[in-house]
Amino acid sequence: MSKNNQIDELPNIKTENKVLEINHLYKSFGDNHVLVDFNLILLRGQNIVVLGKSGSGKSVLIKCIIGLLKFNNGSIKIYDQEIGHLNATALDKIRAKVGFLFQSNALYDSMTVRENLEFPLRRHWIKLSQNKINEMVVQALTDVGLVHTIDMMPVELSGGMRKRIAIARTLILKPDIILYDEPTTGLDPITGKEIIKLMVDIKTKYNTASLIISHDMNCVRSASDLIIILLEGRCYAKGKYEELKSINDPKVKQFFE
Amino acid sequence: MTKDFLNNIKLGVFILASLSFLILLFYMIGKNRNFFGSNIKLKSRFENVQGLKSGNNVRYAGIDIGTVEKIEVVNDTVLEVEMIIENKMKKFIRNNSIVSIGTDGLVGNKVVNITSTKQNAPLIKENDILSSRRPVDTDEMLRTFSKTNNDISLIAKNLKKTTSDINKSSGLWKLLNDNAIPESIHSSLSNLHTASEQINKIIKNTNSIVDHIKSGNGPIGTVLYDTAFTQSIKNTLRDINKLSNSAITLSNEAKATVDNINDQLMNGKGTINKLLKDSITAENINISIQNIKKGSDGFNLNMEALKHSLLFRRYFKKIEKENKCKSEN
Amino acid sequence: MNNSVLVKSFFAEVGSLSRFSGKFLSMFFIPPYEISALFKQCYIIGYKSLPLVGLTGFIMGLVLTMQLRPFMIDYGVESQLPAIVGIAIIREIGPVITALIFAGKIGSSIGAELGSMKVTEQIDAMEVSGTNPFKYLVVSRVLAATFMLPVLAVLSDAISLYGSYLGVNIKGDTSFHFFWTQVFDSLEFRDVLPAFIKTYFFGFAVGIIGCYKGYFSSKGTEGVGKSANSAVVVSSIMIFILDLLAVQITDLLGFN
Repeated sequence: MSKNNQIDELPNIKTENKVLEINHLYKSFGDNHVLVDFNLILLRGQNIVVLGKSGSGKSVLIKCIIGLLKFNNGSIKIYDQEIGHLNATALDKIRAKVGFLFQSNALYDSMTVRENLEFPLRRHWIKLSQNKINEMVVQALTDVGLVHTIDMMPVELSGGMRKRIAIARTLILKPDIILYDEPTTGLDPITGKEIIKLMVDIKTKYNTASLIISHDMNCVRSASDLIIILLEGRCYAKGKYEELKSINDPKVKQFFE
Repeated sequence: MTKDFLNNIKLGVFILASLSFLILLFYMIGKNRNFFGSNIKLKSRFENVQGLKSGNNVRYAGIDIGTVEKIEVVNDTVLEVEMIIENKMKKFIRNNSIVSIGTDGLVGNKVVNITSTKQNAPLIKENDILSSRRPVDTDEMLRTFSKTNNDISLIAKNLKKTTSDINKSSGLWKLLNDNAIPESIHSSLSNLHTASEQINKIIKNTNSIVDHIKSGNGPIGTVLYDTAFTQSIKNTLRDINKLSNSAITLSNEAKATVDNINDQLMNGKGTINKLLKDSITAENINISIQNIKKGSDGFNLNMEALKHSLLFRRYFKKIEKENKCKSEN
Repeated sequence: MNNSVLVKSFFAEVGSLSRFSGKFLSMFFIPPYEISALFKQCYIIGYKSLPLVGLTGFIMGLVLTMQLRPFMIDYGVESQLPAIVGIAIIREIGPVITALIFAGKIGSSIGAELGSMKVTEQIDAMEVSGTNPFKYLVVSRVLAATFMLPVLAVLSDAISLYGSYLGVNIKGDTSFHFFWTQVFDSLEFRDVLPAFIKTYFFGFAVGIIGCYKGYFSSKGTEGVGKSANSAVVVSSIMIFILDLLAVQITDLLGFN
């Protein structure tokens, strides 16, 4: 229950399986202490859901992980590389292994679906041939079931389709870690469920580790191997869905009502 | 990919179009400034270039043939103007042509004019120094102009004063308006007339006396029969003759003047123009009258001298007697 | 109290804009260079603005000629109309009008585009995709604006002069050849060069201000609108300030 316990639970994990490790992360915006002392370990093939209220610093957490935000103190290690100390080139290399699904999808409005998917490929793996790129684009679109939209513009697509395209764009780099920023927000429940199913499928297919930020309990229940409740900048509670649901703490209970 | 390629083609056309206009612009300006093509360099020296600048046009017979390249100060009184002239003009300009600095229009830019002279001379070569003509300095022109203006104003002032003086001068007016003057002139003239008649008489008389003496009839005729004496008398007579002639011309002149004055008095009373003329006339009249007076005085004096002269005393007395007798009769 | 806050925020804005420009310069020299993005932006910013700039330039030349004619006739120098209009267009009207139209079209579109990219996390997405968004978005746009505005201004000058030629011929009869001769005879390098060089600065100002406003757009669709709007306003003012500076500098250097 306490954070000491959480760390104690993970003593015998082999380091090669550990893809992401966060220790004593501290991040503040002026006087607003968003993350105070956050600890997390993500293993290969594991889906961790970080559960928290709006403004609790969930988005800040994953932006710190990917290096979009600089944190003040603590450490974030991906494959034993300290994110805070990397230069731009090394950071880009790490980023090629980490997919990031933005809350607003962040599809490039000025590009077609194909160009959207090609963009990270060309950026990260510069030496790919055009044929290989085409093949990978089609493969990624097949994985999300939207091959027919390949030459459409993002504005022509529905919200769910855009989310899938965004996932395809994340997948195309075959990342080891995928960071989902509220993947089901703004979608109707049915589409949301489809997206959740897609996330689980991806995990099983590519054996990726995922860190999912969400407050959608549907998503939390179906996609999570482990749930971390983020409260006041700290890991407040941690455990499987059923475990947390049975806890009688009102601060935990409020998420499960 | 093909779309990108097409876009790049459009972009290329777009940029090249702009570039070519820019180049055209620069080329045209450069052509006007003689940056391109072969040129010939000419020089000329001036004392004052009056604000000529490099880049000003050089003209030959009114057409632009080049530009001023630079202006150098050679020493405190000489400036050297270097001109770039189109090469093709080399065939036409001779090295005795004259360079002057002028203005394009009344207030336009300065231009250098090359003017050919009529004389034949070799054609210009590179770096020839052409002779220059001192430019018409507008400043100097204006200075002269202002001096002239001052003079004119002075003259006008004097003129004004003169006319007002004439207007004010009561004497002159009196002279002009006085009817007595012409009358007195008339009387003077009539006096003169009588005087000259008398002279004629005297001459006649003198001639008879001389004849008398020559023939030795007179009491002192033999004594005085001497050529030297005769000569002196002859001289005297000639002088008297001259005097009477000049008196006649004088009286004619005086008559014309008087007529003139009469005319003036009849027709031209009052206007300033006439006044000016009249003042001169009046002066003339005065002088004439004086002259006449002097002449008649002189004549009287001569006559008096003659009367008192030893030789003629008797003769005159005789005439007086005869006159007395006539008057008594 | 309120005033001091305004003044402070103004200086803060100036400071961060300068810092942004400094970042542009440092990023500009550091490889990798986003050449294809630059070409794409040149196409969008330059080529696609030509119809608008050309139209305004044409009308400007025509109107200026027609407006000046009565006064030229009053002063008895109607024959100098092409020379006067040519000088006005090349020296001032062409560059400034083109820059203002450019600021209206490009400044607002850059501000709105980057603003909406910022709001919808596309800029973050680029960064995650191994791309320096500053280079890819800002440097390419600023460079494109800097290099395309002079190109546009020169073409606009040409179109304006053609408009002026038509304007001269509405009530007069001047051959095209004579018109050009008159225009070029009155022009000198000192008319063309400063006017041409200053358009680079205009273009840079429009690009950098548009990018700055978009890049630091506040969240939400309102922020996008605001950044588009203030990009146009600030870059238009900047154009006039630069124009003033340009004329003073050319004066100082004796090119005027």
